[in-house]
Amino acid sequence: MNPILKVDDLLDSRLMARLDRLDVISRKIFAGKIQGERRSRRRGQSVEFADFRNYSHGDDLRFVDWNIYARLDRLFLKLFLEEEDLSMVIALDMSMSMNGGDPNKFDYARRLAMALGYIGLVNNNRVSLFGFGSERIERLTSMRGRRRTREMGRWLLDRTPEGIGGFTDGMRTIALGGQGRGVLIVLSDFLFPDGYEKGLNYVAGRGFDVFALQMLAPEEMDPARHGLAGDLRLIDSETNKETEVTASTAVLTQYRKSLEAYVAGLRDFSVRRSITHQVVETSLDMDTLLLDYLRRRGLLA
Amino acid sequence: MIFLAMTWLAPFAASIVALSTIPPLVALYFLRLRRTRRVISSTMLWKRATQDLRANAPFQRLRLSLLLLLQLLALALLAFAIAQPQIEMGDSQSKRIVFLIDRSGSMNVNDALGDRSRLEEAKQLAENRVRALNSGGIFSGSAPSVMVIAFAKDAQILCPFTDNAAQAIAVIKAIEPTDESTTLSDSFELARAFSTVTNPDKQSTVAGDAPSYELFSDGRIADLSRSVLRGGEQILFHNIGKSTTANAGIGAVAVSRNPDRPDEVQIYARVVNWGGDIFSGDLEVVVDDRLRAVTPKPVEVPPAQEDMTIGIRVPGEIQVVFPSMTLPKGGLVEVRFAKHDALLADDRAIVVAAPPEALKVALVGRGAFVMRSILEGMSLKSLETFSLSEWNDRLKKDPMEPDSFDVIVLDDAMPDDLARGRYLIFHATPINAGISPYGTKNNATAQSIRDEHPLLQYVNLNDIFVSSMTAVAAGGDADVIVESSEGPMILTLNRGALTFVYVTFDPMESDWPFQRGFVNFFANSISWLAAGGSAVADEPLAPGDVAKARLPLGAKEVSMLIPNGTAMPIAVQDPSNISYGPLRTSGFYRMSWTVPNGQSGPTSKAYAVNMNSRIEGRADAAAEVKFATERVAGIQGGASVETSAWPWLLLSAVAVLFLEWWVWLRRV
Repeated sequence: MNPILKVDDLLDSRLMARLDRLDVISRKIFAGKIQGERRSRRRGQSVEFADFRNYSHGDDLRFVDWNIYARLDRLFLKLFLEEEDLSMVIALDMSMSMNGGDPNKFDYARRLAMALGYIGLVNNNRVSLFGFGSERIERLTSMRGRRRTREMGRWLLDRTPEGIGGFTDGMRTIALGGQGRGVLIVLSDFLFPDGYEKGLNYVAGRGFDVFALQMLAPEEMDPARHGLAGDLRLIDSETNKETEVTASTAVLTQYRKSLEAYVAGLRDFSVRRSITHQVVETSLDMDTLLLDYLRRRGLLA
Repeated sequence: MIFLAMTWLAPFAASIVALSTIPPLVALYFLRLRRTRRVISSTMLWKRATQDLRANAPFQRLRLSLLLLLQLLALALLAFAIAQPQIEMGDSQSKRIVFLIDRSGSMNVNDALGDRSRLEEAKQLAENRVRALNSGGIFSGSAPSVMVIAFAKDAQILCPFTDNAAQAIAVIKAIEPTDESTTLSDSFELARAFSTVTNPDKQSTVAGDAPSYELFSDGRIADLSRSVLRGGEQILFHNIGKSTTANAGIGAVAVSRNPDRPDEVQIYARVVNWGGDIFSGDLEVVVDDRLRAVTPKPVEVPPAQEDMTIGIRVPGEIQVVFPSMTLPKGGLVEVRFAKHDALLADDRAIVVAAPPEALKVALVGRGAFVMRSILEGMSLKSLETFSLSEWNDRLKKDPMEPDSFDVIVLDDAMPDDLARGRYLIFHATPINAGISPYGTKNNATAQSIRDEHPLLQYVNLNDIFVSSMTAVAAGGDADVIVESSEGPMILTLNRGALTFVYVTFDPMESDWPFQRGFVNFFANSISWLAAGGSAVADEPLAPGDVAKARLPLGAKEVSMLIPNGTAMPIAVQDPSNISYGPLRTSGFYRMSWTVPNGQSGPTSKAYAVNMNSRIEGRADAAAEVKFATERVAGIQGGASVETSAWPWLLLSAVAVLFLEWWVWLRRV
């Protein structure tokens, strides 16, 4: 996969054309900041009737149903579903653990963020980007409309992986940041030394429809097939701590079991909190991911 | 007791190897492996998966590891192998080993493992030792040379020093049992003769490396006190047999005819008990395979006693006299136990009783009254008396004149010719017989007396006093049977055609004629000398003796029937001097021959060979052998092998390395 040197490297025109047909959907109906294109649980001024309620003093007389008053001699007020915009938050893991793999996990995450953000912008959703890393949270919030695409691309182009973790702080910031309720897409490998549980707990109860997309490189999925064998001194890219490993058959088997257990643990944790978890191997074609995987997982439609 | 020791040929080299390999190996386990560095996203999952995490420090705590233990074991084995340990048998370092295998009568006791005889056990042990000495295969050094000597009454080299194990084993297997007595000194002499290296260039004799001996015996050896191990010689005593085995046997048997009734014989037997308990058993008399008498009640023989003053074991003995029985002709008289014990050979004794035939005796010399009276009292065919000059005249006329008499008594007289004949000689020194007089000695008493000799049957010489005797030096073929502090008193010589009994003093110069034993000695001597022709009874031979005979001129087709029924042909050169033997086993032998047509006379002669239980009947195996200067403790069940252990250590190290490799493969 080509390195990302300019905005067009993040999202080419061919894919952009295919993404125009997609929209971000949410299993939940949220209250938006402004009138948007999707239904809201709040009663509003749309044309779609929702219910009646008794008239109370001070209500807008324009919404009184006069036909019912004529038949029943009582004042009822017509309630309509209000259409609101969708808040779409994309959280990008910028820790050093993302800077690995072939294709590079961080590049892949940036391309995916660009694609998802583009879908959000095209569909007039309110798109916010958060990048979290070691003691830093960078953001680009409240973008709406196709014209913000390039701005979003430049922002992603300027992001670089650095430091360790920061997931918990990042999630807490998003949860408390008043972004409105909407779809939260977390792009990360979820390989955090201090765990992912606390961070996900922050966003799981805040009205977000959370999608946890776990970026894993092919080397992490199957190290033996990608040249990881023999007596190795493995250096953690985040902590620079060394771990000595003799990559024997038994150890590799045990590694796969550990990976499966870790992924299964994250999936179970997510399911219990209504979070959609999806493993994304960075060797997977972006078209396939967007047009097939994420559609089947209910993120895109 | 098996004595194992281990020596190290190269301990210094082993130390260097051990010090240079084992600490580095341990250090390698302290040090971390050199590994390929790889930067990865996160090591979190690897930490969970891997089993061989290493601490970040350059050294880690030494952990118990099977691989480390196996490697240390392999290195230790290699170090031991480099030290070249030698597992030794005893402390022998000799490259030449002499196997001395006892085949005497006592080795026929069946108290070895599996009820085998001691000789079979000794042969098996010796065979095992030869195999063991050559068992190293390609890893062994040069095996020692082995000589095999079988010994009993005399020693016989069965195999000179050889490296050929098969040859040594073959001769060991071929050793036949005997009923002979046991002497060991000849074996040492033979071995030493073969151990001496001669340098033909310098015409000098150089002593080679002293051999080590391995003695396979029950330890009952008569001449141990006269055997001395020389400097550098070592001996390993393989103790054969049990120390608790008891045995009783017939020490002697004699048959005498009643002078007044020649058809009757009196049979005497002496029963010897070497056991620690009273022996009780019946005795039978069998004449020509027909049972003729049994003791009316079991004879009881007292147990053997330890004589603390002289440190020997004295057997219990009793004399048994059977009632007179008629034996008008000659016959084979056998006295035997009704039940056998541990040693079969001494459970019977045979004597050949000749038919009652009178002897022709000549008395030459002064014809002392005492001697003439004794001879006249014997039941002789004829007794002729000659002066010395008369006898010499007869010899001049016919040199064969001595053959016309069964025995010639020379009373202080020595004829001009002593080439043939059987003589009882008093005082005058025999000529041309290898006996050299060197003076006259006074006031002599008997000191060394061979009681078992037939000449001394019922003869007590303990109290004899001789005022004057001729001091002589006897040749090698003379057999001294009574010796005083001044030299031989009575000796015998048997050269076939010439046989004599020589008393070196004049009985008239002693108090002997006044003792009853003198009469018995006279009669015994006449009988013993006459045994070569017609005699009252042939005295039994002992195992190892040679059977001799004077056959008629022209006798041919001479053969000897031995106890197992086989007739062994005898080559004849001089019929007047036939010898066959040695007769190694006890039993009945018969020499047969044919005479030319027209001649008459006997055509066979019987020999009885009896094991003398007084010498060889002791069946309790000795725990140690006591040489003149040292004692050697016995070992049982064979000895350890002197062999190099390093090949096996090396193989073990390789095996451990293979095991370590397998364990490593299993882990990875």
